[in-house]
Amino acid sequence: MAARRWVRTGAFAGIVTIFLALVGLIGGFTDVFLIGDEVTFAGLMLLLPAFVAGFVAAAPRIEGGERREMSLGEAAVAAAVAAASAGFVFALAVLFTDLIGDERIRPIFLNVSPSLMEFVAFGQSTVVGAVILVALSTMAGVLGGVLRAAPPVIRRPVTAAVVVTVLFGFLQRVIPIALDQLSLERDWLYHPIHDGLTWVGAAVVAAISAGISLLNTRFGARVRGSLSSSIGGRSGLAMSPVRLIASVAAVALLIAAPLLLGSVISEVLGTVMVFALLGIGLNIVVGYAGLLDLGYVFFFALGAYSLALLTGATLNVYGVPPDPAISGDLNFYIAIPIVMLIAAAAGLLVGAPVLRLRGDYLALVTLGLGEMVTVLVGSPWLVPLVGGPSGMRGITDAAIGGFAFRDPQRFYYLALAFVALAAFLSWRLATSRIGRAWTAMREDEQTADAMGISTTRFKLLAFAIGGAIGSLGGALFAVKIGSLTPASFQVIVSIQVLGLVILGGLGSIPGVLVGALVLVGLPGLLREFEEYRFLAYGAAVVAVMVLRPQGLVPNVRRSRELQEEERAQDEWAKAVEEGETPGELGPPAEVTT
Amino acid sequence: MSDPARSPSADAVLEVRGLEKHFGGLYALSGLDMEVRRGEIVSVIGPNGAGKSTLFNVITGIYEPDAGDIRYQGSTIVGLRPHQVVKLGIARTFQSVRLFANMTILENAMVGQHCRSKGGVFGSIVRTPGVRAEEDRIRQRAEEALSFFGKRLSGYRLEQPAFSLSYANRRRLEMARAMATDPQVLLLDEPTAGMNPRETLELRDHIVRMRDELGLTVVVIEHDMRVVKGVSDRVIACDYGQKIAEGTYEEVANDERVIEAYLGTKAAG
Repeated sequence: MAARRWVRTGAFAGIVTIFLALVGLIGGFTDVFLIGDEVTFAGLMLLLPAFVAGFVAAAPRIEGGERREMSLGEAAVAAAVAAASAGFVFALAVLFTDLIGDERIRPIFLNVSPSLMEFVAFGQSTVVGAVILVALSTMAGVLGGVLRAAPPVIRRPVTAAVVVTVLFGFLQRVIPIALDQLSLERDWLYHPIHDGLTWVGAAVVAAISAGISLLNTRFGARVRGSLSSSIGGRSGLAMSPVRLIASVAAVALLIAAPLLLGSVISEVLGTVMVFALLGIGLNIVVGYAGLLDLGYVFFFALGAYSLALLTGATLNVYGVPPDPAISGDLNFYIAIPIVMLIAAAAGLLVGAPVLRLRGDYLALVTLGLGEMVTVLVGSPWLVPLVGGPSGMRGITDAAIGGFAFRDPQRFYYLALAFVALAAFLSWRLATSRIGRAWTAMREDEQTADAMGISTTRFKLLAFAIGGAIGSLGGALFAVKIGSLTPASFQVIVSIQVLGLVILGGLGSIPGVLVGALVLVGLPGLLREFEEYRFLAYGAAVVAVMVLRPQGLVPNVRRSRELQEEERAQDEWAKAVEEGETPGELGPPAEVTT
Repeated sequence: MSDPARSPSADAVLEVRGLEKHFGGLYALSGLDMEVRRGEIVSVIGPNGAGKSTLFNVITGIYEPDAGDIRYQGSTIVGLRPHQVVKLGIARTFQSVRLFANMTILENAMVGQHCRSKGGVFGSIVRTPGVRAEEDRIRQRAEEALSFFGKRLSGYRLEQPAFSLSYANRRRLEMARAMATDPQVLLLDEPTAGMNPRETLELRDHIVRMRDELGLTVVVIEHDMRVVKGVSDRVIACDYGQKIAEGTYEEVANDERVIEAYLGTKAAG
């Protein structure tokens, strides 16, 4: 019974491996080194599904209503069976391909390249290669299984070490630049020839990340405790010192990033900031007010084009006068508030008829609205205003007294300032009477109405404020690029922004930043992966929805409250056992200090 | 005492005349008349499907009536949205408890004060002194409403999410949330449903205290006859969307039509 389940898990992982091979994620990356001369990205992709299969097969089962953890031995067996099945399925596919000839499959699946065939045979004959493949898969799977069954004190640090090390491997184009800028030695960490981590470097990174992770487990509680008392205890600090240090480090990194990373990467980070701005805006609509808006590109486009018109950009069209039908000549900083007002007004105008709809219907209508914008800005009808398909150029560089912000490093700071401003506004609103009304409305719209909240009004408010912040994102985007074409305002923008908000955690502002970094930043930094961008998007969002529905960085206050509540309940339950009436119980002494 | 139903009184705070509400062919309310006077506790009883909850839903603006009039302090409230009705001073609880489950207990009660406050976007962002003071007042008023139920909803519980409460406490929180809207009239829809006998008796006292200490006018839909007997100044019995009897508890309990409605024709005949 159980064995059958393990085999099924493994077979599925094998099919996933075949899929990865067919889309080219294995054959195309045999020369992207992650660690040393041995671990390549292709190797990671080849064995990752087997590893995951082992991890899944060793998961605790619910039997007769009880959760049953596997012992290490059981876990190893389960994982071995699953992973061997995965390897076997993939090996079969390789043997089959070899039998009928990979050159006959290639016309259909372009990525079944000779280099892929050579890689999966490990330089041996196909049959020997298949045996090695099954063996390696099994080993990867057993690692996964044992890791799953290990106690958290071991599992957490090891997982952290593996994930961070692989991440460092991925950031091989980014981190060395920072080291060079700081005139630090880099050759010990990254291989001088093929850019991957050296084994020494990988070991150091793994050790450090495991150490930090260990501090965060129960084991580290005592160390943490002495750390906090030495920094000044809990006096007046809303956060724990560890979290405070982490936050300060994150802010410092955000500020120093462009100086450390140079202009090529700053260019990517600038885009990340624009998307973070869009994310903060959409988070108000979706995360706070609970209105699913799939047409957010509407506000993005509105902001970009209205800024262009207000600041005197010209049409990018031959044969017509270069000046748009409506044109202002305002300074960027005067135009911005006007742009935001226009967007807020548009939000009210569009929202009024649309916001009566609930859930799915609202999503569909907003999707349509977003699509209309794409069509409109590209239509011949609007050529005299926005230039149609060829768009506009000559957009302001947001200069302050000659200090222009077009340069990627400078632009990053401009965008960061606006992100900080938007985050502040959003946070203040969320923690006010207005935020409370939004939360109530999201939880139960009809009850909120029956308790005195004008739901129409607060929906419109969310739509207008979210729209204003979105238009700010559009305006900055226009400044960054310097020219506009309808190609930048496709439905995919709405999807990307929604994706990053969900990935980071609905209702969480740090989550938006992390989401933007992961979904917009990583693909931008790893140019080899450009064509797999949307594959990775989809995979990331699905994975988060399945494994961590609250997002990567969930709403901090709420998750902390939940932990404290658990402790309070323990106290409460103890008091009940001792015979007190729960209803009359005062606050447990430890909880309310 | 003269028959209270037929003497139109000047101090009626809530007046319902000829109220009708149809759902397709179903007549949930068909010509219901009733009135509630200031400072009174009125129980509405009747078998399941008699239209009691529909009555509350129509009064609070969740449904619009098909015919008839509802007057609150002399002026009609038909056609108002639920949040406007609350603002005028009619608050309610629901038969199936409807809290904001992921908000804390304090936040739930603070939502009640929403309609008595007006902090806007600018004030909330800048945190003007006015908005700060208002927020303090909202919080204070919410804590006050929660403390009506003693320690059950206060102290360390304030910061706990509403879903962590026991069933009886959820019902109490719902009442506290309604009381935090500073109402004149409180509509309670089966407040003791799901409570054990001890909690039920305790709630009976609470309902009386709502009137005596807070000066509220209370309309309560209730199935538990001990509660109805214990709290009611007047009882209104409904069946098939109409009023079939009205009077003191004893009068209504011995009314033939009421017995018939509850037990069927044969028992009455």
